[in-house]
Amino acid sequence: MRIGVFVCHCGSNIAATVDSAAVAAAARDFDEVVFSTDTMYTCSEPGQTGIIEAIKTHALDGVVVAACSPRMHEPTFRRAVERAGVNRYMVEMANIREHVSWIGKDKEANTNKATELVRMAVEKLRLNRPLFPKTFKATRRVLVIGGGVAGIQTALDCAEAGLEVVMVERESTIGGKMAKLDKTFPTVDCSSCILGPKMVDVAQHPNITLYASAEVEAVSGFVGNFEVTIRKKVTCVDWEKCTGCGLCTEKCPSKKAYNRFDEGVGPTTAINIPFPQAIPKKAVIDKEFCRYFTTGKCGVCAKICPTGAINYEQQEELAQEKVGAIVAATGYDLFDWRAYGEYGAGRYPDVISSLQYERMLSASGPTGGHIKRPSDGKEPKTVVFIQCVGSRDASIGRPYCSGFCCMYTAKQAILTKDHIPDSQSYVFYMDIRAPGKAYDEFTRRAMEEYGAQYVRGRVALIYPKGDKLVVRGTDTLMSSQVEVEADLVVLAAGAEAARNASGLAEKLHISYDTYGFFVEGHPKLRPVETNTAGVFLAGACQGPKDIPSSVAQGSAAAAKVLGLLSKDVLESDPQIAQVTLQRCIGCGKCIRVCPFQAIRETDFRGQRKAEVIEAVCQGCGLCNATCPQGAIQLSHFTDNQVLAEVEALCRC
Amino acid sequence: MADDIHGALREAIRTILPDVECVLGWGSGPDPLRSAPLFMKSPEDVERFRAGELAVNNLAVFLPEYAGRKVGIVVKGCDSRSVVQLISETLVKREEVVIIGYPCRGVVDVAKIAAAIGLGNEDLEAGLVERAEVNGDTVSVTVRGETKTFPFKDVMAAKCSICRYPNAVLHDVFIGEKAEAREDSYADLEKYEAMSLEERFRFWEKEMERCIRCYACRNACPLCVCRDHCVASSREPHWLSQADSTRDKLFFQLIHATHLAGRCTGCGECARACPVGIPVGLFKRFINRAAGQLFGFQGGLDPEAVSPLQRFLVDEPTIKEKEWK
Repeated sequence: MRIGVFVCHCGSNIAATVDSAAVAAAARDFDEVVFSTDTMYTCSEPGQTGIIEAIKTHALDGVVVAACSPRMHEPTFRRAVERAGVNRYMVEMANIREHVSWIGKDKEANTNKATELVRMAVEKLRLNRPLFPKTFKATRRVLVIGGGVAGIQTALDCAEAGLEVVMVERESTIGGKMAKLDKTFPTVDCSSCILGPKMVDVAQHPNITLYASAEVEAVSGFVGNFEVTIRKKVTCVDWEKCTGCGLCTEKCPSKKAYNRFDEGVGPTTAINIPFPQAIPKKAVIDKEFCRYFTTGKCGVCAKICPTGAINYEQQEELAQEKVGAIVAATGYDLFDWRAYGEYGAGRYPDVISSLQYERMLSASGPTGGHIKRPSDGKEPKTVVFIQCVGSRDASIGRPYCSGFCCMYTAKQAILTKDHIPDSQSYVFYMDIRAPGKAYDEFTRRAMEEYGAQYVRGRVALIYPKGDKLVVRGTDTLMSSQVEVEADLVVLAAGAEAARNASGLAEKLHISYDTYGFFVEGHPKLRPVETNTAGVFLAGACQGPKDIPSSVAQGSAAAAKVLGLLSKDVLESDPQIAQVTLQRCIGCGKCIRVCPFQAIRETDFRGQRKAEVIEAVCQGCGLCNATCPQGAIQLSHFTDNQVLAEVEALCRC
Repeated sequence: MADDIHGALREAIRTILPDVECVLGWGSGPDPLRSAPLFMKSPEDVERFRAGELAVNNLAVFLPEYAGRKVGIVVKGCDSRSVVQLISETLVKREEVVIIGYPCRGVVDVAKIAAAIGLGNEDLEAGLVERAEVNGDTVSVTVRGETKTFPFKDVMAAKCSICRYPNAVLHDVFIGEKAEAREDSYADLEKYEAMSLEERFRFWEKEMERCIRCYACRNACPLCVCRDHCVASSREPHWLSQADSTRDKLFFQLIHATHLAGRCTGCGECARACPVGIPVGLFKRFINRAAGQLFGFQGGLDPEAVSPLQRFLVDEPTIKEKEWK
């Protein structure tokens, strides 16, 4: 083999603490290296041209690039050598930036380590063989998981562009958190007025299939060819027959059911339709409260239903869908503020969450749009808002800023004044974070036009006094203690990952962070992609986001899906497991250990052998590590290639 | 071992003989002290069968070769765990093996007896031992006309004194009263753990100097099923060099031990088979304890179980990864 080595300076990123020229000089002594040089920016246009020129001049058939992480630029250099007629798998990268120059200051030691990494890369490259991808047909359909505003946007954009869309929503209606909001900042326009039409579009679009009250049970397959199993939950109502007339909800005798849509503000009936604009507008029975299930007797809804849709015996059903891409848009949930003992830990009825308050403000909410204290139904005159409840607080494991609470608190303070003109709002805040278009002006309006008293400081304690709540805190700007006697306290609870987001991430084989938010492919350059091909992210499942950002990301994810599925055939990654038949003893250990069910047993001339299903294999290497006799090898990461690297390192 | 149990075992073997290709048991070996595997195909063969304290070999090692054919096997408790592990790994089909169990009170360690009569294990040439008998709690061995008697517990294999499963954990027929289980607290590992890593490494380097790379440890292991395809003799992939170095020898032992992680049933055959007395069973003892601590798993107890390293679970039930901080 004729190997060329290119050692990058990356400006001063590498060259400041690594002598790139010395690394290149040392590499000339390595076996089969016929050319080596150092370049300022290997990834730049002249850098890539340099590689292509060297391949032609020196008849190179393998290239080592010592630069950044292969996560960054391996695709770049693979394309570069391919342009020079060399197979794209004949490139190895030595990561001398993230693994060397950025983590050590000793230039001599760094240079030695960089040289060692280059030697390892050369030794591996010597055992590389050209690999060729196969092509396969892609299913031009997309699964959108979650029917909040982000998922709705993705679904509508994809459907408009001609893709078939399958949307799965675990609640009985789409709309997500936005549907629960009264008004939206910074324009204070009605949430359901702007979301409602989009929800209707989802229901009516011929390209969209909606599964509400359903969850993704399992996902198998790979980009272009996912097989999704959807579990349709028991609603006890045949949705084919239900017209959403609501007669059942009027007559249901169990009127104390927990109202999930209204966040527990006011009860609902055991059979209910969450809200008037629900999509689909279908009734669901809450078995926990339904008298038929709790006492064994009732059946009022079954008797009254004009279409005979009630079915107490309904069973869960599984549906199968084939899709080519998946968009996770599972949103967020509110932090459970009862973690805060100083705010009463849920003991005081007049300390409520921001979303509960939002339901009170809503004209279609449980109080008909009238703000009423949960304890006695009186109209509060003094309302205290506390920000950063479950945000920016390392002590309860939530060090991050939830981003949108400053804005919705300002909105709620404004709406409070609108609803109760003789009221006074107080907002305890840490900092005002309002960096969006017309956002800061909006918070100023809350203070200046609506007279909300903003107090910079945290609240130390809330305690009851008569029928009031005393909110005691510090005003850090005045360096003084503050006590406010409040009628109602609203906690701006922070956002956290949606319930069981991590479980879904594991089904999708995507990463999630400590807080359960899904991890994007690159924080700047791949914001809606994941590291699993064909799986994309939209909205707050990736991190707290307000409505404009969620919608933008929904459209961005749709663009990525459309780009992916604009081709009829996709290329498979040839870095997959291969069975050496003569070494395989058919012990089946690889079959059991494969997380993707990509290996099956086969009969080869009467002998039991393992066989890799190439299209399903993800190249994770578990079988490779498990096979006791080394009969399964991962292409491009064979035992011999890895051993060559280890040997090279041991020789250093 | 009591004659009535022997008689009943022979009867049980004769009963299943018409249904199987052969029955694996023990017969006389190169001398009266040592047994050898006996492959019984006819009622006459059964006359030569003997079990008891001298029936040392783990016959499960032969089972995978009989795949597709039905065989019988006589097992001690430890042997039965190997059979169970092979069944759980689908290397042996349950319906293709008839298991005859009996209570085991322990087997002799021939190396200990050889040492007690002043010989090395390698000095025990065929025919040297003229007579060997186990009478109750003593073992008598006659060499060159001279008889020496030892308490059985002094020459019992170390694995037997900590045996938790002296009776077959899976069997079709069980002859005799169940023997009493003993406890294993892995106390034998303490002195090795007291060593520093450097001391341990030196210890193993010294031990491995004696290794002649005969791979008897591998060949005696009932769970080393790769046989001719062992990674130790492969150049593609080329894990081990052919160099005669202690490091390569130690490397093989570590490969062997990791291949047995969560699978080894502690039958001790690897160490017993070693002709130069390297305590290779120690590696497996360590790794077995780790499998128990990490996964709460012991190989060879449940034919339906899957060893922890041979499955993929998103959440290991015993490892609360999500609670890690």
